[in-house]
Amino acid sequence: LNAVKKQSACEKSTVQTIYPKSLQHSLRIFKNQMKILIIEDEQGLRESIEEYFSEAGNICETASDYPSAMAKINLYRYDCILLDVSLPGGSGIDILKGLKANNYPDGVLIISAKNSLDDRLEGLNIGADDYLVKPFHLSELKARVTAIIRRKSFNGSNFLVFNELTIDLLAKEVKAGKTPVKLTRKEYALLLYFIANKGKVVSKNAIAEHLWGDGIDMADNFDFIYSHIKNIRKKLVEAGCNDYIQAAYGMGYKFTEA
Amino acid sequence: MKLAERYNRVNFITTIIVMVITGVIYYQAISWILTDQKDKDLEVEEQEVFDYVHLNHQLPQTFQSNDQQITFTQAKPGSVEREFINTTYYKRWDNGRHHHKGRRHRDGGEYEAGRGLVSSVTVGDKYYKILVIESKVETEDLIRLIFLITLGVILLLLLVLLAANRFILNRLWQPFYNIMQELRGFNIADNKEMPKFENNIEEFNELNEVVSVMTAKAKREYKDLKAFTENASHELLTPIAVINSKLDTLIQTENFSPVQSKLLNDLYGGVSRLNRLNQSLLLLVKIENHLLHEQEQVNLRVMVEEMISEFDEIFIDKQIKLTHTLEDKEIYANRYLVEILLSNLLRNAIRHNYAGGEIIINLSSDSLRIQNTGDPLPLTEQVFTRFHKSSGSEGSGLGLTISKQICENFGFSLQYFYIANYHTFVIGFLNQTIHLM
Repeated sequence: LNAVKKQSACEKSTVQTIYPKSLQHSLRIFKNQMKILIIEDEQGLRESIEEYFSEAGNICETASDYPSAMAKINLYRYDCILLDVSLPGGSGIDILKGLKANNYPDGVLIISAKNSLDDRLEGLNIGADDYLVKPFHLSELKARVTAIIRRKSFNGSNFLVFNELTIDLLAKEVKAGKTPVKLTRKEYALLLYFIANKGKVVSKNAIAEHLWGDGIDMADNFDFIYSHIKNIRKKLVEAGCNDYIQAAYGMGYKFTEA
Repeated sequence: MKLAERYNRVNFITTIIVMVITGVIYYQAISWILTDQKDKDLEVEEQEVFDYVHLNHQLPQTFQSNDQQITFTQAKPGSVEREFINTTYYKRWDNGRHHHKGRRHRDGGEYEAGRGLVSSVTVGDKYYKILVIESKVETEDLIRLIFLITLGVILLLLLVLLAANRFILNRLWQPFYNIMQELRGFNIADNKEMPKFENNIEEFNELNEVVSVMTAKAKREYKDLKAFTENASHELLTPIAVINSKLDTLIQTENFSPVQSKLLNDLYGGVSRLNRLNQSLLLLVKIENHLLHEQEQVNLRVMVEEMISEFDEIFIDKQIKLTHTLEDKEIYANRYLVEILLSNLLRNAIRHNYAGGEIIINLSSDSLRIQNTGDPLPLTEQVFTRFHKSSGSEGSGLGLTISKQICENFGFSLQYFYIANYHTFVIGFLNQTIHLM
């Protein structure tokens, strides 16, 4: 009951009451705000995720076991649910089945320690939107969650706008104002990754893993990441776009409006 | 030396030794018996002479027969000692009959082996030496015949024994060879159980049982070990995830000094390596357990091309010149594993290369060859063993082990060569036809 109270309090404070309830969701999406539920039994991980996702306007709720997760899911809708498969008191897969049985539209991202194709396929077949294997970088999680919410919210018309940058997600084209920016496949992926994690320092390891896949052992040389970033910045600035990418203490990069 | 050979040799030698000894004893015994028989005949003859002398007080008429001669010679009284002697018997031929060919002969007669008895008799006041000689020819013939027959029998026995041994040994040892065959094909990783060979030889049943128990135990322990590796790796995932997420959170806080950033960077590197190592171990267990069994028709050319484009930027960045000749090649395999295999080999070729170096990829219908320039020293066969790393390598040391396992899983071969300054890894597909059947 406490959790329920907290939840409603949370909503009242973040969503202005002048909008009808049906509009609240759309408004949040428009403002790039999201409401997510983190179902994860490992406290350290849960807190990190919560902290990373909690920023202006985002609503983060957590559940650490099966009963509390079920209680929340049956009461509230979320833009995305981060779902750990192994939970005390039950399986995350059952929670997913429950969601689908009730035709709830929430996006679901499964977080699992099991990197097996069978589990992945089972999760996706039941109706999960994505599957992420532990351990992961928070920036990767954020990028995936953002992608899920984006897919769920704008059916078909996939334009991502960030200040003067317009990205056509279907055609995979980037424009700065009206000037097209020609990016390579990897540069495009990197730009999307940065925008999803805007305002956050993204480590070089996270970037390398995002671009070249899990278990990349090229970490002995991050030079190629540097040259990628250099190229993106150059192309964006040449197209008349602001330089949003900053190096951060030699650890990574930050995409920031300032 | 084979057991049968050893057995036969021992058998043969002992048989021959025993045969020679028994032959000698046998010969002596028969000889002795027959000579004794002759001696008795001679004594009978002597007795006859004594009886005659006793009755008639004169010497009997000497007569000559085919097998006996008696001669009397006068001698000094008391000079003759009674004894049996081996001597020669002069045989006269009657009617010029020619038998006993090949014997020493003179006009009208021949010498044969004979047995004689020297004795003495007193007739009146005269003292005579009696010499009775009997031919031993028939006795000797008999001995020879008996001896030859015996020898023949023994030789025949030996031959039969040899053949029987050969047959019996092969036949008897069949269960042993069956067990050997099974052991040779024994694979600790597969689930096949040791079959039971029913036979009524207790030793082999025991062996079979012991082998079954042993292999089952080995398999169980191997399985436990694998389960342990898997569990340990799984349990490690969550703490690594926590460290990783905490680091990601930590770098969001502002204002790091250069020293702190360096420390954080090193931490990231360490966690990342730990994670890779862990993932590799999990993957290895999975491959060894044949847990990734979904197989499909995969066009290797397309996959290699995709992989190359993945690394495009890195080739440019490291100024590596890539040459490739790719033919169409369809294989039946797990796509995920093929991806890992190709990516591992390509990453190695990049990582152990130098700026301005070269990579050559060659795909034909029977092999995939990836060559790269690099360290001018050939690698050893150890490259495929776990945790073998070249100095300064940041890899997990499991990449090539995984690659090799994947190849074995598909029935491919993976070999390393050092050809004309190129480190060359070759995947041979030829085994796959066997694998598919």
